[in-house]
Amino acid sequence: MPNQITYRVYDFLKDIAPFSYLDQESLLRVASRVEVRYQPPGTVVFRPGEPPRDRFFVVKEGIIELYSEDADGQEMLVERCGERDIFGIRPLLAEDTYVFLARAVEESLLYAINSEGFRDIIPHHPRVLEYLATSMAGSSRYNLEYRAARRQKTDDDNGQLEPDLLPLQSLHRSREPVVCQANETIMEAARRMTDHGIGSILVVNEEHHPIGIVTDRDLRRCVATGVVSRKLPVLTIMSSPVACIPVDATVADVQIRMLKTGYHHLVQTEDGTDKSRVTGIVSEHDLLLLQGNNPAVVIQEIGSARSAGYLRELRDRAERLLSGYLEKEVAIGYITAVMTQINDEIIRKCIKLGLARMQADGHGNPPALFDWLTLGSQGRGEQLLRTDQDNALIFEDVSPSRYNSTKDYFLKLADYVTEFLNEVGYHYCDGDMMASNPKWCLSVSRWKDQFSEWMHENTAENLLNTSIFFDYRGVWGDGTLPDKLTTHIFSEMGGQSTRFQASLAMAALQNPSPLTFFRNFVVERSGEHKDQFDLKARAMRPLTDAARVLILQAQQGNINNTLRRYEALAKLEPQNARVYEEAAEAYELLIRLRAELGLKRGDNGRFVRPEELTQVQRLLLRNSFNPVKEIQQLLEIRFQLTFLR
Amino acid sequence: MERLRRWWDTLTERGAKQEKAAWPEYYRRYDSEVQHEFPPDRLLREVPVVILDTETTGLDVRQDRILSLGALKVYGNSINLGEKFEAYLPTPPGFEHSEAVAIHGIIPNSLRYSYVDEPTLLSDLLTYLGGSLIVGHHIGFDVAMLNQTLQRHGAGPLRNRVIDTADLARRLRPSGYWTPDHDFSLDALARRYRIPLSDRHTSLGDCYITGVLWLKLLSRLAVRVGHDLRVQDL
Repeated sequence: MPNQITYRVYDFLKDIAPFSYLDQESLLRVASRVEVRYQPPGTVVFRPGEPPRDRFFVVKEGIIELYSEDADGQEMLVERCGERDIFGIRPLLAEDTYVFLARAVEESLLYAINSEGFRDIIPHHPRVLEYLATSMAGSSRYNLEYRAARRQKTDDDNGQLEPDLLPLQSLHRSREPVVCQANETIMEAARRMTDHGIGSILVVNEEHHPIGIVTDRDLRRCVATGVVSRKLPVLTIMSSPVACIPVDATVADVQIRMLKTGYHHLVQTEDGTDKSRVTGIVSEHDLLLLQGNNPAVVIQEIGSARSAGYLRELRDRAERLLSGYLEKEVAIGYITAVMTQINDEIIRKCIKLGLARMQADGHGNPPALFDWLTLGSQGRGEQLLRTDQDNALIFEDVSPSRYNSTKDYFLKLADYVTEFLNEVGYHYCDGDMMASNPKWCLSVSRWKDQFSEWMHENTAENLLNTSIFFDYRGVWGDGTLPDKLTTHIFSEMGGQSTRFQASLAMAALQNPSPLTFFRNFVVERSGEHKDQFDLKARAMRPLTDAARVLILQAQQGNINNTLRRYEALAKLEPQNARVYEEAAEAYELLIRLRAELGLKRGDNGRFVRPEELTQVQRLLLRNSFNPVKEIQQLLEIRFQLTFLR
Repeated sequence: MERLRRWWDTLTERGAKQEKAAWPEYYRRYDSEVQHEFPPDRLLREVPVVILDTETTGLDVRQDRILSLGALKVYGNSINLGEKFEAYLPTPPGFEHSEAVAIHGIIPNSLRYSYVDEPTLLSDLLTYLGGSLIVGHHIGFDVAMLNQTLQRHGAGPLRNRVIDTADLARRLRPSGYWTPDHDFSLDALARRYRIPLSDRHTSLGDCYITGVLWLKLLSRLAVRVGHDLRVQDL
């Protein structure tokens, strides 16, 4: 009969992954063999190079720190394990010596789990193995762990391990394509479409490569109206070229592609270009059937919305879409792409509403070309939840005599637009970083001057502005003005760059990696968010700041998205690819976590109470700090910041 | 005088021999095969330790009986829960209405436990103990109860070295104005050294609390004496 102490140990372990995956009987057996270890402060649990013991550890009370030693014997803090954290787990899986030094910071009690007994259990509990494998695995561990954790939640008892990953699955089932040759008549093509009951037909050449597509719509437009004779070859009315996707494209790929190109049909070919054989075809309708809910529908609705109130409703719908995506663990790259499209569409709609209002007020049309810029996270295309609006306006240079009236017009327009956005739920920015602020509604040359000033005078305020304004992106307007600004920035950088880049890099280091913990997390010491962890400032900001300065240094101005910046950096610097990839993964995880928390609480998810996280979330969050630190070290070396500090 | 002394010696020796002859097998084995002494310079972390606790029908060593006994082994700085000792004795007739039931909650002859008889318990316990250092809180009482039981079955007393965690705590922080004597109860000490007080008054639960207390006290003693603890430091 298990005794009281066994039950006590069991009670403690049962909520902690991977023990939580065990059935009661197995866990009681594990608990009954636990060894309780007492570590006075400063004592060592194990040292690097020591042969593995037949046990691993769970912190019952106290704090254990893991250190790695560099070549000079200097200790570097790797991880800090608080109550309920597991460490020293390597021996369980790999017959490997310890890599770290584990030392008690304060008086600690550890439960040493006998790995012999535990190993016997693993074969019967696949989820435990999965958890352990992921917590051990190298670079891709964050997402994998995440998946393992999520799987447990949605799993039912029948042992079904595959989560619903529909949007991640390859679209193997794309329809068998119905094709015709370019010289066949329109009538023949139409008959074949009717026979097969389909809405489109692919036009291929002799090698079966796609050269065009004819849809119902083309037939209606050209034939039914009698404009084109039905006896002409399809060549004359087909749309060409076609957008192609590779065989292994996922639903997510298809959706992004459709959103971007505006095409309703994508052709699947052997190598993803139109220079290989056709293997299938995917229409928007197919996707709708596959997916049920479609962001394209929301976007379409936004286009036809007539009031900010309805836009707000649509944004709420988008949020439900978002929570569905998060639940299904759709790739963050896809989620951000879709949500950015939706946000952009709403902004565009608000500008259109604003312009209509200006007309109605008798102010007429815009007196000059302009572009509406979004800044910050929306500028980077990684905003998932409604946060405060950050925007600016740039208009073409006009003669000095017209400058004031032109600016007046755009300020009034911006007033309306920001008001509409506020109604939709993007609140006014506390720092007044909005196009309605006279400081941020400028002509091209004045914006150039402004950026030059920011780059030359490296005050703290300027650096803050830099971090917001440098991630600008045009969402509506002429479309050429933002590029002028970008060109200017890089030409400025040529001369004066080093100091500016170094200060930017410095700014990225201002929030030290969050490794000094109170129960694993640096919480805010005072103010409204006392004892909460600032997800944005402590973990996300350092990553976005680092990506920005690195990409500026690499002179890649048109890459605005943090994830894509790291992707690009990994390609540019293969020697650092691992650091960049891990940073990107960590960032993905943080975006996801923030969105989940925000949706759950109905706010922007920025501040976290450590206790509201599940244990796995905490583990993942903590793991994401390592890339933060590595990236910061990279900056420090690259920009030689140790001398500046 | 010298003659008298020799006479006395032979007498007691003979008495002892007679007594030894009557010892039960398990006690004879315990007495002869087990080393109970440790060299004073032996490092404490190399000494096997058994934490022990009993629940009894009351506090009168001569009248009352043991109801349950729990023990845990400590090696160095760890307590091994796998090597626990736990045994229950049936409530002897006449003790069913003991006031102690309210304290330890062992309902007389409850079907929750599987019971052994006293000789089995003693035999198993002595095997489990071997030459270990016995540690317990106010352990003098538990040892006296055990010795009384051993004597009832014709065996000699425990020979193990015994350490009381209450004494150890007192040594680290003598009682006085600031810490009245009752502050050395297990509850008070557990609170002082921040040990959660669940499963209090079950033999094994108390053993566990005492075990953690023992380890915490030792680390403080080591700081006090300034070197790795040896048997002579106790």
